[in-house]
Amino acid sequence: MTTAQELREKQQLYFDDVAVGQQLPPLVIGPLTPTHLFRWSAAIENWHRIHYDQSFAIYHEGLPNILGQGSWKQSILPRYLKDLCLPDGWPWKVSFQHRAMIVPGDTLTVWSTVTRKYEAEGLGFVDLDVGMRLQYDTETCPGKATIVLPIRNGRAIPYPFVPPKELVSQ
Amino acid sequence: MSQSAAQSGSALTAEVKAVIGATAEKIEASLPWGIEREGLRLFTQAIMDPDPRYWDDEFAKTTKFGHIITPPIYCTYLGRRARPGADDPITRAFAENPNSDGIGGVRTAESRGGLPSIPTHLKRILNAGNEIELRQYPRLGDRVYSQAKYADIRERVAKDGARMLIVTTEIIYTNQNGEVLCILRASQIRR
Repeated sequence: MTTAQELREKQQLYFDDVAVGQQLPPLVIGPLTPTHLFRWSAAIENWHRIHYDQSFAIYHEGLPNILGQGSWKQSILPRYLKDLCLPDGWPWKVSFQHRAMIVPGDTLTVWSTVTRKYEAEGLGFVDLDVGMRLQYDTETCPGKATIVLPIRNGRAIPYPFVPPKELVSQ
Repeated sequence: MSQSAAQSGSALTAEVKAVIGATAEKIEASLPWGIEREGLRLFTQAIMDPDPRYWDDEFAKTTKFGHIITPPIYCTYLGRRARPGADDPITRAFAENPNSDGIGGVRTAESRGGLPSIPTHLKRILNAGNEIELRQYPRLGDRVYSQAKYADIRERVAKDGARMLIVTTEIIYTNQNGEVLCILRASQIRR
């Protein structure tokens, strides 16, 4: 897990300092408990019982346990990319698919690997393979992302972020 | 339509093509008071993100944003909140069906900003993946609006020969100034 102080003091990762094939720092979350799952359901008012009612999940739906929410997973990925980009980069976009179920007791490792880096309009773009790996190495949320990192002595990343026209149709 | 008939003709009919680009009504996703601290606290704690940019005003002033920020994906969950003054959707759902799964009967309490149904015999729906594009962090007090459209519908043929549709819905979230906050693209397989 990351602390508030670490995020306050986060040092910038620069475009110049990443290379294709490089694994960026992971984020480990867990082990998850039923209470973590219930907190998420309450936070977003998702009342689907498979996420907090164990009897319903097992005996009515035939599931092995209550399930972690796909909506939670898809909220963790942008959070992870935001942390990578702080303080001045931008987590432009992320796409992913939901694969393996997550259940209480699971620990997730959110990971990323650089697959491409390129410049556009003076900004540094970094493509990533991303995912959330379970403690037994099963991938539960594979995807791809593009982040924008500052170039040393380059121009500041605009905020609000406006993607270069040449990249919008990709 | 029988399965063999379904397999022999294209699922991407003229009627299906006609809904590509269909755009729903733009609605306010946030509650009338906009984004507020308590909802933000609950959300960020549930994703276990202790970032002081979400809660420490003094620190937030020193960042490039200059103010407290909100995870853009937070926008995508605002629309499911029960509006004050409405009938209690949970009580009603379980009164109608004691075995309610907690989602069907609860979440359909208020349907706004929906897209038309896709005129297809393909009824089974599978999640084919999502994409989230971020443009700007919402601020405290922002009113958030959403508008959905069918961005694309394509046909694919499965290994067993069955035809299926890949439906991509795009929802654009904007603030009270019309500025884009984030874009959610969700793809479904219909088969």
